[in-house]
Amino acid sequence: MQLTTSMWTRPRALFVGPAGTSPVLACRPSYLSPAAWLALQAAALWPHGAWMARRVQDGSDEPLGLAAVAALLLLLAARAHTLRVSPHTGWLAAGAALTVAANAALWMAPPLACATLAAFALACALMAWLPARGPRAPLAALVVLALPLIASLQYYGGFPLRVVTAQLSAWALQFAGFAAERSGTAMLVEGRLVVVDAPCSGVQMAWMAWFCACVVAALTVRRDGEFLRRLPAVGALVLLGNVLRNTVLVALESRPQGLDASVHEAIGLAALAGVCAAVIVVMKGVRHERLA
Amino acid sequence: MRRVRGPVFPLLRHPLAPLSRTGRVVVCVLFALWAFAITVAWSPAFADDAQAAPPEGPYFHVAGDPSVDRLPLKSTRVDARIAGVIADVTVTQHYRNEGQRPIEARYVFPGSTRAAVHAMQVRLAGRVLDAKIEEKQRARIRHDAARREGKTSALLEQERPNVFQMNVANILPGDDIQVELHYTELVAPTEGRYEFVFPTVVGPRYHRPSTAGGSSSFPATPHLKEGEASPSGFEMTVRFASPLPVGELRSPSHGIEVSAEGTPQAEVTVNDSVRNNRDFILQYRLAGERTATGLTLFKGEAADGSGENFFLAVVEPPKAIAPAQISPREYVFVVDISGSMHGYPLDTAKVLLRNLIGHLRPTDTFNVMLFSGSSQMLNPTPVAATRANIDRAIATIDQQRGGGSTEIVPALKRIAALPKAGDVSRSVIVVTDGYVTVENEVFQLVRRNLGNSNVFAFGIGTSVNRHLIEGIARAGQGEPFIVTKPEMAAAQAERLRKMIDAPVLTQLKARFDGLEVYDVEPAALSGLPDVLGGRPVLLYGKWRGQARGQLVLEGQAATGTHTDVVPVRAPDADAVALRHLWARSRIQQLSDQEALEGGSGQREAITALGLHYSLLTQYTSFIAIDQVVRTAEAAETVNQPLPLPQDVSNNAVGGEVGAAVPSTPEPAAWLSLLVVLGLVGAALSRRGVW
Repeated sequence: MQLTTSMWTRPRALFVGPAGTSPVLACRPSYLSPAAWLALQAAALWPHGAWMARRVQDGSDEPLGLAAVAALLLLLAARAHTLRVSPHTGWLAAGAALTVAANAALWMAPPLACATLAAFALACALMAWLPARGPRAPLAALVVLALPLIASLQYYGGFPLRVVTAQLSAWALQFAGFAAERSGTAMLVEGRLVVVDAPCSGVQMAWMAWFCACVVAALTVRRDGEFLRRLPAVGALVLLGNVLRNTVLVALESRPQGLDASVHEAIGLAALAGVCAAVIVVMKGVRHERLA
Repeated sequence: MRRVRGPVFPLLRHPLAPLSRTGRVVVCVLFALWAFAITVAWSPAFADDAQAAPPEGPYFHVAGDPSVDRLPLKSTRVDARIAGVIADVTVTQHYRNEGQRPIEARYVFPGSTRAAVHAMQVRLAGRVLDAKIEEKQRARIRHDAARREGKTSALLEQERPNVFQMNVANILPGDDIQVELHYTELVAPTEGRYEFVFPTVVGPRYHRPSTAGGSSSFPATPHLKEGEASPSGFEMTVRFASPLPVGELRSPSHGIEVSAEGTPQAEVTVNDSVRNNRDFILQYRLAGERTATGLTLFKGEAADGSGENFFLAVVEPPKAIAPAQISPREYVFVVDISGSMHGYPLDTAKVLLRNLIGHLRPTDTFNVMLFSGSSQMLNPTPVAATRANIDRAIATIDQQRGGGSTEIVPALKRIAALPKAGDVSRSVIVVTDGYVTVENEVFQLVRRNLGNSNVFAFGIGTSVNRHLIEGIARAGQGEPFIVTKPEMAAAQAERLRKMIDAPVLTQLKARFDGLEVYDVEPAALSGLPDVLGGRPVLLYGKWRGQARGQLVLEGQAATGTHTDVVPVRAPDADAVALRHLWARSRIQQLSDQEALEGGSGQREAITALGLHYSLLTQYTSFIAIDQVVRTAEAAETVNQPLPLPQDVSNNAVGGEVGAAVPSTPEPAAWLSLLVVLGLVGAALSRRGVW
């Protein structure tokens, strides 16, 4: 008989594995725990953390990164007992190199680029400590999602997303019998101008969907490959959901009486819920199997 | 094939070995990083400020370098002298540099829409420089050259018939410079009451970026925040030299002090604490309900080089009589709900619309368009003016708060495209503060596309763009109205109703018996515009030969044919202002034609008139240059900030170009996050993950 346990369930007994497997729960070097190691690395990257904190405080970006940090800490706490006894040397070296690079870049690169390097550095450190058999990429992706990304994504990617959204919405409305045409990122529907401006691009929906995908994958999938293979589907779902949301809202906004703000909000939340539900279904496509 | 192995690194092998999985990932990451680096390198975020376009439209004033005096205009003094129907106004702007560096002061200020600016003088260090009228581009080049050479120079340009820009270059620290400009305007009576208006501030004009550099170009104006008083002083005095006693003097806009009321030499001074954030309006009557109307002649002296004689006819129409039968009409109300209308102006507009819409007859039909960045019609087609429809329209208008830009041209295009029944007369009523820079496009649109309607324009606010309001009415064969506060709304609405129901004079014709006239404005004496309200008929022109004969005006009134005979009086030697008034009227007519045609087809004719009669126009400017080189240090350009007009909110400057255009933003971030966390929690708990 063999004792089994989930990677998310703290074992009540010592792991007794088959011959040849590494002793996951064997005693760790007591001089520095993985949490302390990760905390030290985070401390080495403090300029980037301070910059992120300022971005959160000054209102220049949505403070969604805090949610990613909270989710990451919770997931790490739940998996603390599965962390490796000794870190993977290659990932650890990569993490150290990226830490140096991130700090050196402070003199020559924009703060977001430096912070992205710092996030990669921490992600590498996580990869070094997390067991190879569990999903590591979702946790590493959460580190990246903790960055103040929304404003920058809006700036660099917002315009093409808005054009695509407006064009697809125009086609959808034409198919539904509306007189709709796109001009730049604006739409003329039944003679009324409706703009698809920065807050309509779907960037926030994309962040939510990726966040949802990371959390669900971290809890359900077995390997990183499964998670990574499903990521393109998440992107497609976001685009589809945003086009649908935009189409419905534009159709309702083009009426003479416009649309009440609360109904507007409700439609947006319903579209987001639909997209995230689909993301959960996609990410849980492979049912989590308990460790054998 | 023999495998050639590189000495150190696998990439040096030939042929290359297929990439491992790790290698493929590394290549993908490198490509992604390269793409990111390229994107960032070409990003406009790194654009040099030097490449940035100059500001357009209104913006808020920033104090900046303390060594530079950013508020060089210390005061403005206005002296108006009104004799009969002609006002001679002298405006003195007082500039002083209290900073430590030389400056060029740039000040955008308003004027009356009828002002004929004919002279400018600069007083500097005890010297008086008389400005000369020059072609606009040439004057600008001379001014720029003088500024570079370190000479003090003053340049006065016209941006709109009622907006001017003064540039005074090289005001050295401690300098005290006074710039005087002189203009003449006609003060014609309406229903026996005279109204003299002196605008004191230019409202923040919404400028659509795509029209930059075109006919709608307008100087960027810095504004103080709502509630901040203008740092410069303002004094105003009006003196009468009337042939009749002046009475019933009152100002709906300012507190005034009146002396010698009831005599021909009455005098008015403004004594309000805050004076220069709204139009100064002075209303008065002449004794015995009489008006200083008739036919005035001026005989030019050969000595002054002109040798031309001018006349001005001001003929009051008969009283309007309501006809027994009033045919039903269709009304389309076009209401500006942009940011500049936010607050008090929109509240005033609501009261006006309650009066206008609330008193429609049940046989009338109406529709309402609300516009800012976008526009919306209340009903797909005009609806009958039933109580239910009226109440619904008023309720919708009452819900508006005002916000966003002022896209008046697309709104009027939409009105022009509305289908119209052939047997129904349509009146389009535009309600706006007129804070836009596209006046010519609007006039062109109204003249070309709304020819089958009468267009009436209501200017709302304390400092309305009267050029737009009067121009819309002129192009649409309607009348302009100004409503500065809600208490005036009922009376102005009643005036419009009377005007639409009973035009005073139609099929109006004029002829001169015994007096040889030429270059008459308006040119078509046999087809003069209808007289809709109590405004007088105005005719400007030149004459030659003997001053004798009479003017005969004939038109159809409600009571039948109406004839007015005005005898020719002896020439008035003091009426020299008629030269400028005639030229101003001709320039306005040419400008209207140019606006209709588009482009600058009348440039030569207007320039010639401006240079010959020494008038400021869109193609001629006044310039005065001191010949003394006074500094070698480059002057810092300083834009004098303007206060926001009274009751206009910061929303008028906010630059929220598309704020009132509907859009489809995503829901609030925290709500979205709650939804996502809830979904994840519910899904995972059902699957027993935790």
